[in-house]
Amino acid sequence: MNATAMAQPGSQTVQTEKTGGTRIELARCTKTFPDGTRALLPFDLTINGGETLVLLGPSGCGKTTILRLIAGLEFPDAGGKITFGEDDVTRQSIEKRRVGMVFQSYALFPNMTVAENVAYGLKVQKVERRERDERVRAMLEMMHIDMLADRRIDQLSGGQRQRVALARAIALRPRVLLLDEPLTALDAKLRVKLRTEINSLLRKLGITAIYVTHDQEEAMALGDRIVVMQKGAIAQIGTPREIYRAPLSPFVADFVGASNRLDGRIEQNSLVLGDVKISLDQIGHAMTGDPIKNGDSNSNSRSGQGLADIYFRADGLAICAPDQGQIRGRVEAISYLGEKSRLTVSGIGESVITLDVDPDFQIAIGDDIHCRFNPERLTVFGRYPDARNAAQAM
Amino acid sequence: MALQNLGEGRSRPSFSRYFGVSRSAMASPATFMALMAPGVAIVAAFFLIPLVLVAMEVANGPDGWATYLVILTNARYFESLVQTLLMSAGVTVVALILCGIVGMFLVRNRFAGRSVLIGLLTLPLSFPGTVVGFMVIMLAGRQGAVGGISNALIGEKIVFAYDIAGLFIGYLYFSIPRVILAVMASAEKLDPQLEEAARSLGAPRWRVVRDVILPGLMPGLISSGAICFATAMGAFGTAFTLATDIDVLPMVIYTEFTRNANIAVAAALSIALGVITWLCLSAVRFLVGEKADVTTRGGA
Repeated sequence: MNATAMAQPGSQTVQTEKTGGTRIELARCTKTFPDGTRALLPFDLTINGGETLVLLGPSGCGKTTILRLIAGLEFPDAGGKITFGEDDVTRQSIEKRRVGMVFQSYALFPNMTVAENVAYGLKVQKVERRERDERVRAMLEMMHIDMLADRRIDQLSGGQRQRVALARAIALRPRVLLLDEPLTALDAKLRVKLRTEINSLLRKLGITAIYVTHDQEEAMALGDRIVVMQKGAIAQIGTPREIYRAPLSPFVADFVGASNRLDGRIEQNSLVLGDVKISLDQIGHAMTGDPIKNGDSNSNSRSGQGLADIYFRADGLAICAPDQGQIRGRVEAISYLGEKSRLTVSGIGESVITLDVDPDFQIAIGDDIHCRFNPERLTVFGRYPDARNAAQAM
Repeated sequence: MALQNLGEGRSRPSFSRYFGVSRSAMASPATFMALMAPGVAIVAAFFLIPLVLVAMEVANGPDGWATYLVILTNARYFESLVQTLLMSAGVTVVALILCGIVGMFLVRNRFAGRSVLIGLLTLPLSFPGTVVGFMVIMLAGRQGAVGGISNALIGEKIVFAYDIAGLFIGYLYFSIPRVILAVMASAEKLDPQLEEAARSLGAPRWRVVRDVILPGLMPGLISSGAICFATAMGAFGTAFTLATDIDVLPMVIYTEFTRNANIAVAAALSIALGVITWLCLSAVRFLVGEKADVTTRGGA
C-alpha cells in the first residue's frame, strides 16, 4: 500500500497533500520509564488533520516524550491508545508509521550527499530510480537548496542542513511531520527566517505537524494551537491568543512571558494592592475561582477575600504624572532596545519589575517614578486552594 | 569618553601580546632544530639505525641480497607467511565483529556492573603475551579446564591449546581490549538520532546498521583493526608459550636467529614481515579510508 502511494509522479506531491492531513488521537496515554520515572501523567490529546500543534514547555516537562510516542520511538503504557485517522498505531513501530522527523541535531547522514540524504527514504521504500530522482529534485527545489544537491553535509551551514532535513522528512509524504526543536541550534536571525519558511511550508502542504519547542515566541508564531506542558502534565491547550491573554495558571502566565509578579489581595470583588484598588471587572484576565459561582465552602473564599498573584508584562504598568500615580518605584537599570527602552524598577514588589518607556523619554538610573496600572493587561490569580480547578470547570 | 579610553587602553596590550604569541609560534631555525633534536635522536636510535643494520645484515649471508626473496621461494617460509597472514586477518575480523557489537551495546546501555564489565574486558591490556599463552594452556591444554569438563561429560579430553585454535583464542583475547575501546570511542560520537531518522524513513534494522552505524564506526574500526592486525602479525609471546606445531613468522625468525644462527635469513624475514604488514594496512586504508574520512569530518 505504501509503495503504491509512492508511485505517483513527484510533481503532484504538493497538490495531493493539500487535501488535508491525518487526524491524530492519543487516548488515556501515560508513559513510565523502565526506571520507574513517570514521564507523562494520564492525558488525552487530539490533533486535527492539517493542524500545526506546538508542544511548549521547559526541559523535562514531557513534550519530547509525547512527540516520541507519536513517532513510535516510545510506546505508551498499557491502556493508552494512539490512532492516525482510522488506523490504530499504538503498537506499530516507527518504520511502519510513515512519520517524518526533523531533529535539533539535524541528524543528516554524514556519509551521503544532500541528494542522497533526501533520496534515502525513497530508496528504502524501493521507489523506482527515475521517479526517485524526480521527487528528490522537486523537494530540493521546494526548499531552495537544489544547487546544493551534490554537496557533502559537512559543507553546509546550519540553516542549509535544517532545510535538507525538512526535505528528507517530507519526501516520503508522511502522515504527520514531527519537529523536535528544529531551530534551537541556529542563531537568532536565521531562526526567525527559517521559522517563517517552515510556517508557510506547513500551510502549503496542509500536513498535520507537531512541533516541540521551549521558545514561547516560536510557539506563538507557528502554532494553530499550543499545548503548554508542566512536569509531565498538560497545563493548558489553546490558540496562541488564548495562551497569551488568558493563561489558566501562574505557571503558564510566567512561561509565556508575563514575568512581572506582584502579591495582592482580593476584597469584595476588587483587587487590592497597598493603597490601590481595582475592580475585578476591569482586570483583563482574572482567575479568582469565584466562590459564589462554584459553591466553594472554603471560609476564606466565602467572604470573597483571599490572596492574589498578579502577573503582567512590560505593558501592564506605565509611567504617569505624579498626581495620577498609583504606585511609586525607583529606576535601577535602563536598557535601550531601539524602538523602546526597558526599565528595571524596584520598590513596587518584592522583586524588581520591568516596564517599557518611549526611547526618547528623559530618565536616569536612580530616578523616582510614578506608575499607573493598565488593568486590561493584568492577569490575576486568586490564591484559593483550588483556584485552578475551579477555573477549568468554568 | 571614559568608555572609549577604557576600550583603547585594553585593546593595545592585547594587540602586542597577539604579536608576541605569533612570533614565538614561528620559531627561528635555530630554535626549531633544537626542539626537533630529541625527536630525531629517538627515531634514529630506536628505529632508523636498527632497521638499517638489520636490512644490511642480509648482505652478509651466503646468498647476499637475494636472501630477501627467500620468503617467497622457500616453501616453509612462504607457508609460514601465509599462515601468519590468515591467522592475523581472521583474528582481526572476528575481533572487529565481536567488539563492534559489544562496544556498541556498552555505549548505548546503562546497567549495574557496566563499569566492572568494561574493566574486565580491558584487563588483557595489562598482560604480556606469555601470560596470555599460559592462560590458554590452563583453559584448553592437556590439564586444562575444557579438557577436564569434556572428559567428565563425554569421556574424551578436548585439547586445542597447542594448535591453531589455541593461538587464535590467545590472539583474540589479546586484541579485544584495544578494539573495544576504539569502538566505544567512535560509538560515543554516533548521534542516536541518526538511527531514529533512518528508522522514521522506513529503514529496517539491518539497513540502519549498514547505512548509519557501520559508516559511523568505520574510523574506529579501521584504526583499531590496523593495530589488531599488526599486533597479531608480530605477536611472539603467546606463540612462544603455546608453540608446538604452529609456525607463525615471528617464531620462524626466532628459530632461524637463535637455533640455526641463520642471521641473514632472520633479518630478511624480519624486514619482509614489516613490509608486508605495512602493505596490508596501507591497502585497507586505501580501500575504505576515504569513506571513513568523510564520516568523521561530517559528524554534526
